[in-house]
Amino acid sequence: MRIYSASTEETLRARKLLADWASEGFLTKEQYQLLRQETVSELRTTNIYLRVVLFFFTLIIVGAATALFFVVFLSHPSERTIGVVLLFFGAVCYAAAEAAVSQARLYRYGIEEALAVCSVAFLCAGIQFALFSGGLFSAKPDAAQSLVPATGAVFSLWIWRRFGLSYAFLASMIFVVFLPGYWTSSHSAQHVIVALLFAAGLASASAVRSRHRFDYLDESYSLVEALLWLGMYLAMNLQLSSLHLLEQQWWGIARTASEFPRPFYWTTWVLIWCLPPIILAHGIRQRDRFVIAAGAVAGILTLACNKPYLGWQRHTWDPMLLGILLTSVAVFIRRWLARAAGGIRHGFTAQRLSGKDKQWMNVGSTALGLLSPDSITPSPQASNSDFRFGGGRSGGGGASSNF
Amino acid sequence: MTILARLERWKEQSKISPEQHALLAGLSRGEPFSLFLELNILLYAGVLAFVAGLGWTVSTWSQQLGDVLILTILSILLASCFWYCFSRAPAWSPAETPVPAPIFDYVVYLGSLVWSLELGYLEKRFHVLSGQLDFYLLATAALFFFFAYRFDNRFVLSLGLSALAGWFGIAISRWSPHQDAAYRQYALLYCLLVGIGGTLLQRRGLKPHFFATYLNIVANVLFWTLLSGVFNREGYGVWLLALLIACGASLAWGLVRRQFAFVAYAAVYGYVGVSWRVLFEVKDDTAIFGYFVITGVAMLVSLVLIGRRFARSA
Repeated sequence: MRIYSASTEETLRARKLLADWASEGFLTKEQYQLLRQETVSELRTTNIYLRVVLFFFTLIIVGAATALFFVVFLSHPSERTIGVVLLFFGAVCYAAAEAAVSQARLYRYGIEEALAVCSVAFLCAGIQFALFSGGLFSAKPDAAQSLVPATGAVFSLWIWRRFGLSYAFLASMIFVVFLPGYWTSSHSAQHVIVALLFAAGLASASAVRSRHRFDYLDESYSLVEALLWLGMYLAMNLQLSSLHLLEQQWWGIARTASEFPRPFYWTTWVLIWCLPPIILAHGIRQRDRFVIAAGAVAGILTLACNKPYLGWQRHTWDPMLLGILLTSVAVFIRRWLARAAGGIRHGFTAQRLSGKDKQWMNVGSTALGLLSPDSITPSPQASNSDFRFGGGRSGGGGASSNF
Repeated sequence: MTILARLERWKEQSKISPEQHALLAGLSRGEPFSLFLELNILLYAGVLAFVAGLGWTVSTWSQQLGDVLILTILSILLASCFWYCFSRAPAWSPAETPVPAPIFDYVVYLGSLVWSLELGYLEKRFHVLSGQLDFYLLATAALFFFFAYRFDNRFVLSLGLSALAGWFGIAISRWSPHQDAAYRQYALLYCLLVGIGGTLLQRRGLKPHFFATYLNIVANVLFWTLLSGVFNREGYGVWLLALLIACGASLAWGLVRRQFAFVAYAAVYGYVGVSWRVLFEVKDDTAIFGYFVITGVAMLVSLVLIGRRFARSA
């Protein structure tokens, strides 16, 4: 099913690990050069910057070529014709993506990825135009129209399996989120259906993953599990998973228990408190970086959403308390781990063991240093509207305050 | 063959020692499992949330709490941060220095942010600098640069560069391509100053690892500035020429130094600028889409060739 052979992907993984270990001094330079010769792969790879740029230009070419085709050959096409042509382009893009890998041996090169992404987009748009006359949103739920997100979800899943692109799995999850809207108008049912679909996906992924512990697929399945856990959490968190989220953020309208049946609302409140420790415990037990991160994110979101859930007013000092909590937890864990023999406790350490961590820190500190807290600080609460303290602009490192 | 099987084979072939095998096999299995990155992210998020909450609280409750209480709290916080930093900091070295404690970098960052908050509050309430925000920004930038170099802190270096940009009238994170000519001149001056400053400091061996930060920020500000000039309706010729020269320089730098980000900057910024000018007066859809197909393919082929060249020389 996978377009790359297991041996080539294992070789690429070994090559990356060797570079990482050499940068950390776990291998001598001579050892690294010697072992590197044994991890030569026939696949063509590139660095992240060129990958992104190649992706961008491939998207431009495909988009422009499709538009050019319509302009030159179809002056006033019917929606059905547009749909058929888009389906044709979807097939061409998919075939090109397959050829880019099988013939040119591209691996995470940007080009084959953009072609695969375009094939999903064209397929969905093509079905929509060919079968449902273009209109994406109708007043009443129409189960037949769920064919579009269903196809998108299945085909994205296929792209993930075939090419190993993790963001295709995320796309598949996003398509799934739109499915229940076509089946039922009940918001509660929609949340439950999405959560159940993600739970089913999680069970399947966990079952398959057990066969891939410590091989090249382990990381991919780890990310999938983390995404599914987080997806389940978000589906259950009614303060976050609403389509009116932006409206709430901008106008300060919190969803209340009255919008949902009370038992359902309070069940979800219990769930958003239960899920983060479950996810964290699972991640720690499995030593799974992505799942631990998903658990931590879910935990922070629960703390941030608890007051709106209960209908309590948020206080201006809540972020300070959250900040103190996060910092205290980080310091406590670090000290607790450091006090153990060799700085390792129960197989965990706070020491840096990978050169990638340092790279991330360097890039992150440069980029995040430009972000000043005012960009995430809400406006003063309405009770004190006579005095404004707008926070600094980032152009002053948060210092150019506009009171 | 999995990495564990490879390691086993390399041990049998004596290419790695048994100790190395044990260490590397353990790392491959996540034993020990490092929480280094996660704990650092948690610390950063904690500091950011704390200062955001502090700013929100001060802005909302300043009248109820009173200036004295607010300034006392902020000053105590500031003094504590700086006392911690100066008392724990190792002797200064021009080279990269390890942090004395895992939370050290974040205390420096917290202190710098609280400094901004307090100074801004003082200026607003008491007009210490009589509304002359420029001096305040310049002084803040100078202080941040001092902290960055004294404590070897990239977070604060970025804050310093951001504050200096503010002094030049540029808000880095809210840059609009439709800035007027004066802004562009200030931005160019900023690039020149920061670029030369960064280069001199690197040449003198003063925290040479900061050079990448200088270069990336300068490159992005410079390209945005040039692009905003190219977007002008009139007098864009000089800006277009400057953009092409900058793209050439960025490409050459990226190729020679093997810093692929600069190749990407040259490709994307250059393509956007040239395409804007070429297509500005064109109304024919066929010509527009044809242009994108042809130039897109040309860019793709060029970048693939560059990628192959890197792969060969790697």
